[in-house]
Amino acid sequence: MKKMLIGPALFVWLLLPLLAFAGVPLDTVKANVNGVLELLRDPKLKGEAGKKVKEQRVEAAAQKLFDWVEMSKRTLGLNWNNFTPDQRKEFVQLFESILKDAYIEKITAYENEQVNFTKEVPLSETTVEVESVVIWKGGQVPINYRVIKKDNDWKVYDVVIEGVSLVNNYRTQFREILGNNPPEKLLETLRKKKGTT
Amino acid sequence: MKVGSTRCASDTRRPLVKLLSFFFVILSALAITVSTARSQAPTLDEAARPQAKESVILLTEESAPVPAASTPAKPSDEYGDVTSEEVETTSPKGPQIADPIEPWNRAMYHFNDKLYFWALKPAARGYKAALPEEIRGLFSNFYQNIKAPIRIVNNLLQGKPGYAGIELARLVINSTIGVGGLRDCAGECFGIKGRDADFGQTLGKYGVGFGFYLVWPVLGPSSPRDTVGFAGDWLLTPTTYLSSDTFDPVKIGLYAHQAVNTTSFHLGDYEALKAAAIDPYVAIRDAYVQHRTEAIKR
Repeated sequence: MKKMLIGPALFVWLLLPLLAFAGVPLDTVKANVNGVLELLRDPKLKGEAGKKVKEQRVEAAAQKLFDWVEMSKRTLGLNWNNFTPDQRKEFVQLFESILKDAYIEKITAYENEQVNFTKEVPLSETTVEVESVVIWKGGQVPINYRVIKKDNDWKVYDVVIEGVSLVNNYRTQFREILGNNPPEKLLETLRKKKGTT
Repeated sequence: MKVGSTRCASDTRRPLVKLLSFFFVILSALAITVSTARSQAPTLDEAARPQAKESVILLTEESAPVPAASTPAKPSDEYGDVTSEEVETTSPKGPQIADPIEPWNRAMYHFNDKLYFWALKPAARGYKAALPEEIRGLFSNFYQNIKAPIRIVNNLLQGKPGYAGIELARLVINSTIGVGGLRDCAGECFGIKGRDADFGQTLGKYGVGFGFYLVWPVLGPSSPRDTVGFAGDWLLTPTTYLSSDTFDPVKIGLYAHQAVNTTSFHLGDYEALKAAAIDPYVAIRDAYVQHRTEAIKR
């Protein structure tokens, strides 16, 4: 009698970690994205003043959702190891602010979009790809978020839009500079870039 | 996974790429523009572009001898190193493309960039202001529907007769109940989702590689393979046969309208990508390669 129970009990016990894992990355991204969408649709936040508030809150949400260090590391790949700690710090800051400055306006312009989260696909032990589709009158765009587990929290380190990975896109750009230049050259380029936006 | 309106074959290029890839827009777009054009001189920052002499992409990850390996991270190396395993397994190196004619491509990129800022964008802005989203959505559906032959034939060529049948059913339903393709009733009323397919993708699935990167004026990022693909798709587009004249005014007008209509949904996309890019030319080339590679994998 007892023996009969051990089997199923063991089975359930083995499954537990899986169950705990399932859905959390997707829910984390979903909650953040939906929070932003709700904010963008808020009728109280119209006009210039509302836009400022929106931008601040979107930025706060991005801060919570994204892992800029992880994103930077993957963007630089093994080149990251040639950066000194100070250079790494500066790189992360510059990269983060360039991305934010470029996309904040685009994001705050969203209004009528609907986002459906479809599924999550494990990439490795600590990384998962969360798939979503943005639907609006003009069509639809698949947007996937690659997330990594850090201290029991899931953070986005790459965004894949219609098959185009942000990290890979920058990796190609940075590689052209780092191929025959020291890290300082890339930092210089980024500083100049930040100055112009 | 198609709900709402399916995006058409030649439209499978990602929106950003799409923006650049617009067909014989110039003439008609300018005509539409006249009323709305506020001749804004685009502030193009080319300053950030590095003098990329090497025309072939550098695959080398290694660089100068590891500096400061001995100096233990003083200020605090809280971020830690990257291991090759970490990099390779979770962010595999993206697909690459040869770029032997980079000077030509860069010139064409700049031409298309100007085309967007001077003609397409002002036209699309005025158009967007004049027509509500619903109406523009109907046009999107219409152009989507009219390209069904491309999807039907290429799904067949890719060994997916099931999807070819679904696309055929969508064509029939949307052309009738959907009032000439203005509504995506197949998707909205019956939940019938199709599958995008184009001839360049078919060739890719057959094992044909990109060849090299090739930017066409007006048409945008491409490659020898996708150029052949574009020609194949063009032959399967019904509007091609409206007249025997390639540059028939009606055909050009339709292309221009489609370009403006599509762009009206993507204003700001290209601007954001460009603002975020270190070298917009390389960013778009890479986006094109990644996007097409993904389309072929699907």
